[in-house]
Amino acid sequence: MGRKALLISPELCIGCRACQVACKSWQQLPADKTKNTGSYENPGDLTPNLYNKIRFVEVPSQENPVRWLFVSQRCMHCDDAGCMKICPAPGALYKTKEGIVAFNKDKCIGCKLCVAGCPFDVPRYDEKGKISKCNLCEDRVAENMIPACAKTCPTGSIKYGDWDEMVASSKKAGYEKLYGQMDLGGLGVLYAFKDTPKLYGLNERPQIPESIVFWHNVLKPLAYIGLGGVVAASALHYLLIGPHKEEEEV
Amino acid sequence: MAEMVRKASAFEIFNHWVLAISCLLLALSGYGFLFKLEGITALFGGANAMKDIHNYLGIVFTLSLFLSIFNWLKDALSFDSDDIKWIACAGGYLSKHPKVPPMGKLNTGQKLYYLALLAFGIAIAISGFVIWLMPGQRNYIILSHLVHNISFVVLMIAVPVHIYLATIANPGTFRIMVYGTVPYKWAAKRHPKWIQELSHGK
Ligand code: HEM
Ligand code: SF4
Ligand code: SF4
Repeated sequence: MGRKALLISPELCIGCRACQVACKSWQQLPADKTKNTGSYENPGDLTPNLYNKIRFVEVPSQENPVRWLFVSQRCMHCDDAGCMKICPAPGALYKTKEGIVAFNKDKCIGCKLCVAGCPFDVPRYDEKGKISKCNLCEDRVAENMIPACAKTCPTGSIKYGDWDEMVASSKKAGYEKLYGQMDLGGLGVLYAFKDTPKLYGLNERPQIPESIVFWHNVLKPLAYIGLGGVVAASALHYLLIGPHKEEEEV
Repeated sequence: MAEMVRKASAFEIFNHWVLAISCLLLALSGYGFLFKLEGITALFGGANAMKDIHNYLGIVFTLSLFLSIFNWLKDALSFDSDDIKWIACAGGYLSKHPKVPPMGKLNTGQKLYYLALLAFGIAIAISGFVIWLMPGQRNYIILSHLVHNISFVVLMIAVPVHIYLATIANPGTFRIMVYGTVPYKWAAKRHPKWIQELSHGK
């Protein structure tokens, strides 16, 4: 209920990168200096000033020597978000009622733990070391507007709407299961892939690192159960057995 | 007054306080991070300040832990058959009228506590510096985060027990952290092998 999603259909993407530009324009992000690496993909990776990037993947084959895939790469707004799990600063990362994983640079302490918790290598850090990533235009969304990327996309390759509706409509369109539908509690960015996710540069089974899940489920509770336990045990010992006094003077 | 014997030098007392206070403040801010407690971050002047305080106190803690080696490591590494007996009777702490085997300058529990503190203290320090100084290096951070937190859990169990045993559970012990001296008679009962060593003058 209330959860929103982006539905990304690479099949419809023409690689125009209007979304990339619209994102920068709305978020007021400066351009990055880049190098020509022989690909139209530019810049080559997400940066602190680039929240949404179209990845260009060339998959030449016998039948189709010029197959070219375009796919939006950005924060997935995970339901079970590894970045939020590991972040030690109150209020630095928070979830909106639409399910957006948003951030507050004033509260971020720049520890960069979040990139260790993120299964998608998303968080980047600005020149002050503060987190920088897609926030699904939470300010627009709060005013009932749709994110800049979805607004701009001329082909419907990026759609924004209710999470359930996105899943239902793509099912009608013949996609049995969307990428991200079942992962990490359901991603807030869903992909209608025709091929294996790997081809699009994504993990088949994205996961929060096991040690972080273990930390969250086991070590964190132990950190207060342990302390509480030994304090209680000490009190009990004091009451039942009592201190070790020197009984009689020698 | 009774005849006194010196168990800790002025420097040892000072260093122990530095270690104790830095550890407690690190632990308090650590709990603040662990559970994102705004009440605790406010005490330290906000999360950003708390991060800096936590990190720089880490340096103090590490230096102090290093210096503590000269206070305790030698004694903590000498074990004999009395230590086994000490463990067998749980240090006498389960009895109202304890009979404890003769101990040296440190009893078995104190020795084991120190070795654990040293091991997990080194672990929490190294992992802490990695988290601090190698930000964004995903694999190192994932490992260090785990080590930092395992050590934290161990220390949060061991340190309170140590504080309890060194204060109200053993009246007469806490004065070592203030004056460094204990009554000769008390020492002869609690640490007879140490007193023997002292009186035999090596
Ligand atoms: C000795 C050197 C130490 C260093 C350099 C250090 C550094 C750090 C760093 C960088 C963090 C991540 C959050 C932040 O950026 O502040 C952290 C978190 C934490 N520290 Fe330390 N620390 C040290 C010692 C300790 C000690 C002695 C304790 C407890 C007795 C402790 C308990 C914690 C806890 C519980 C957390 C939060 C859990 C987490 O987010 O990983 N630290 N420390
Ligand atoms: S860098 Fe900022 S957002 Fe990321 S974990 Fe640290 S405090 Fe949280
Ligand atoms: S993709 Fe990464 S940064 Fe975005 S919500 Fe998921 S864990 Fe957080």
